[in-house]
Amino acid sequence: MNVIVLLALPVVAAILCCLPWRRVAAIVTLASSLAVLVGSVQVARHVVNTGPVVAIPKWIAVDGLSALVLLLIAFVGVTAAFFSWGYLSANSHAPKRLRLYYANYNLFIFSMLAIPVLVEPTLVWIVVELTTLCSALLVCFENTREALEAAWKYVVLSLMGAAVALLGFLVLFAAMQAAGGGNYTWDGLIAAAPKMPTVLLQTAFVLILVGLGTKVGLVPMHTWLPDAHSQAPSPVCALLSGVETTAVLYVILRLLPVLKAAPAAHAEVWAMVFGLISVGVAAFLLLQVRDYKRMFAFSTVEHMGIILLAAGLGTSSARYGALYQALTHTLTKSFCFFAAGVSLLAVGTREIASVRGLIRTSPVAGASLLFGGLAIAGAPPFAVFLSEFSIFKAGLAEGRYLAMGLLVFFVAVGFFGILLHVNRMVFGTSNVDTQPPVRLPASCLAALSVTGALVIALGLYLPLPLHKLLQLGATALER
Amino acid sequence: MSQRILFNLLQVLVVLVFAPLVGGVINRLKEIVQSKRGPSIFQPYRDLWKLFHKDEVVSEESSWVFRVTPYIAFVTPIFVTMLIPVLTSYPLFFAFMADMVGGGFVLALGGFFKALAAVDTANPYGPMGASRTRMVGFLAEPVFIIVFFTVAFVAGSTIPYIVQKHWMSPPANFLEPSHVLLMAAFVMLILAEAGRIPVDNPSGHFELAMIDESKMLEYSGKGAALMKWGGQMKLFVLLCIFLNVLVTPWGLAEKQALGQVLLAIPLVLFKIFIFVLVLVVIESSLAKLRLFRISEFLGSAFITSVAAMIMRLFAL
Amino acid sequence: MNDPLQTLSVLDSLNSLVGGLFLLTAFGIVATRQANGILTLFIAQSLLLAASALALGLRYDSWHLYGVALVNVIAKPVLIPWIIRRTVHEEIHTRREIDQVLNIPTSLLIALALVILAYFLTIPLQRAVAMEFRGPNVPIGFAGLFLGAYTLAVRREAVPLLIGLLAMENGAFFAGISLARTLPLLVELAIATDGLIIVFITAVLIRAVHQHIGTTEVGALTRLKEHLTEDMPEEVAR
Repeated sequence: MNVIVLLALPVVAAILCCLPWRRVAAIVTLASSLAVLVGSVQVARHVVNTGPVVAIPKWIAVDGLSALVLLLIAFVGVTAAFFSWGYLSANSHAPKRLRLYYANYNLFIFSMLAIPVLVEPTLVWIVVELTTLCSALLVCFENTREALEAAWKYVVLSLMGAAVALLGFLVLFAAMQAAGGGNYTWDGLIAAAPKMPTVLLQTAFVLILVGLGTKVGLVPMHTWLPDAHSQAPSPVCALLSGVETTAVLYVILRLLPVLKAAPAAHAEVWAMVFGLISVGVAAFLLLQVRDYKRMFAFSTVEHMGIILLAAGLGTSSARYGALYQALTHTLTKSFCFFAAGVSLLAVGTREIASVRGLIRTSPVAGASLLFGGLAIAGAPPFAVFLSEFSIFKAGLAEGRYLAMGLLVFFVAVGFFGILLHVNRMVFGTSNVDTQPPVRLPASCLAALSVTGALVIALGLYLPLPLHKLLQLGATALER
Repeated sequence: MSQRILFNLLQVLVVLVFAPLVGGVINRLKEIVQSKRGPSIFQPYRDLWKLFHKDEVVSEESSWVFRVTPYIAFVTPIFVTMLIPVLTSYPLFFAFMADMVGGGFVLALGGFFKALAAVDTANPYGPMGASRTRMVGFLAEPVFIIVFFTVAFVAGSTIPYIVQKHWMSPPANFLEPSHVLLMAAFVMLILAEAGRIPVDNPSGHFELAMIDESKMLEYSGKGAALMKWGGQMKLFVLLCIFLNVLVTPWGLAEKQALGQVLLAIPLVLFKIFIFVLVLVVIESSLAKLRLFRISEFLGSAFITSVAAMIMRLFAL
Repeated sequence: MNDPLQTLSVLDSLNSLVGGLFLLTAFGIVATRQANGILTLFIAQSLLLAASALALGLRYDSWHLYGVALVNVIAKPVLIPWIIRRTVHEEIHTRREIDQVLNIPTSLLIALALVILAYFLTIPLQRAVAMEFRGPNVPIGFAGLFLGAYTLAVRREAVPLLIGLLAMENGAFFAGISLARTLPLLVELAIATDGLIIVFITAVLIRAVHQHIGTTEVGALTRLKEHLTEDMPEEVAR
């Protein structure tokens, strides 16, 4: 019952956002996202201590992996909501547009929450499409020509991928029927996997990988990602980059244990190859960005590639590393986009070349951008370093020297790229020296500091409940 | 034996006599659609009569090609008539002389001579029309070939009588996708070969825009009459192939009885009339295509016919 | 015993016929210039999808497919064009696309190659399923998917791009009604509603684009690239 309430809350909030009074939309959103967070923590604790939560058998259930993704979505939902409040009040928008924003926001959160919670794959597909549709209007919120272009590319490419993935899910259903029927759920698929014809499984996997990979941002279907993730308002970027790509990647990861039954399908090879290509291309593209939000967007592509690569390595410690990377990436990426949002408020431009000496113009913005850049590039003592290191260890233990070597090289190139740009922006002589410092909204700073604290904390220590959750998730990927 | 000769003659007679009527009906219906009264449906007969009684003017510079072409243009459709099922569903005397590919070649022979004759007189509009007709022709060639190949795959033969039997008996055969796609491609072919809208305007007067008509500009008197009649017979023959083989293979005489054969005549005319209605709708609602868009039109016909072939070849 | 067998084979032939016409409409969507024409072709395609679902439902006695047919007849031919006409500006419908990325005969030939590719790719698939799931639907569905994707690649106007998207889904569904025959009806209803939402959101986007740049030639929206264009404005967050 808890889970259904969890899903219903954002929908109710979205409806309430249409009420015409001032501030109602913002307050309702904040309240509902906090409630969702509390609910997800409860669900996660239940899963860790007792076992999977089944709300409606065969339709809605939460196991270890789902609980992890649910928790991530809820957390970033709260922090982004707080950040939105401050960010939107810093620029003046018409109240009607604000209501539209918050309503869309809640619907977007609802659609993302539904992804890990539903167990029927076609329903999951529908909800993935819903995330595209609910976030389309958020991406073009700024209403400039570039934002419209970004939103258009986003919608068209995502829907194209969705149509391909639909065919994949239908072929998967046919495979299920050829194996003798049974429930068309994730568990049912794993149970029926040994009897499925290999060709059908292979085709379904390739179709779903390509189709949903478009939404995740795997190369070469990533072309919409830098545009959409940079043109959207910063809190929305945090949601898109931090959580949405992870949630869709979760769907792809759910297929991996099903494909273990078909060794001829080489699912793991596909995953590794796509992952490595994404990491490599993103790392090199990072070197020549001109816009710091685009830089973070390319970094998302890179990290999605790392997670897919780790999941494809095949051992349980590698899978643990993949989920750990998902956790740390979500937190760090949302921090980075909050930092970018704060910097945008401080200097008013997205171009890297126009920003110099940020640390003098606005110490908060400069420091957070610096920390964000270091964190996402994988420097110690931040969280991402630990997770990448665990993946690296797992890969070496497997004997995949070539893959790990390439991975380290690409991550190093990405590190160099990010730090190059961040350094240029944060240090140096400022060229906007006579401007009075911009007052950054308190809620933005609050969201920033909470996320930042977590990023540092997780870089030093992984609390036991989280560790158990990650382990449960890894086993869910294994069966 | 003598009955069969009689039926063959009857076939040729039907084509000869009723071909101008089809043209007349089309023109009258087009005018009615445009809320005018239109000429009488027997007007083409009067035109032919008039032309036969006029003097012929032949250029001194033209060669034997110019003089011979009207006869060739008149005879080739008659030749094809003897190959195709017009009134009977069983093969007559000359049925196995050539199959559909051969029939196509014979019609192309007529077109070849017409094109040569157009160039022969050094009339400035003649060669223009001839080259345009050749362009339409070579774009239509692949469609013809693929249509015939697919028909051969489906029915196992290219003799029209045998092909027709294939689509008569089990009704499931008629609904085959390759069949329907072939019909669509063939309609587009008829529109291209017979020079109707959207490929060419048969009632246009503007010589710079003519494709087919300009080849007949130089002729007068008997030659013009034969060319016109030959053109009308070509359309009639194409319609017979289309309707009696592909679309409605029923309604033809089954037994060797004179009564049945005579009964088949109004049925065939009825089928042609229905198709004429469709043709009038197409001609009244579309506009003539620009010259370079004709390649798109025939490209679509090509795609349709290849799709028919693919569906037939890969059908499980 | 001849009669039921004959009815079954007539239904099979009808289904194949519908498949052939579906393929034709997919070609038409690649090649038609006018937005109105493409919309008509899409309506025809959806009706053909419903007809195929009906034929398969009669053949295999599956009421799920009747539901699919009904949903398709209501949602796509009626509601989607209505939504498009209401949301997108009137002027767009008679617009002709003067140039595509490739000219039309070349596009048609490439489309043909894609169809042959689709047929080849689905041969091992057809062998892997039971006898009763085979048929023309799967290769034609794949072909519809590829042709829709190709339309998205070569067209530059917004409404044809949207129809290309919907055609891709039609193709995926066309293969699906033969493969996944007993998918729960709830799921299919949800997919249909999904289609409506897609159209709504995309139509809103198209309207916004039209307001901004005056045409719906979305192929001209190419400012977001790495190299700086001279007039790239600085986003000022006031």
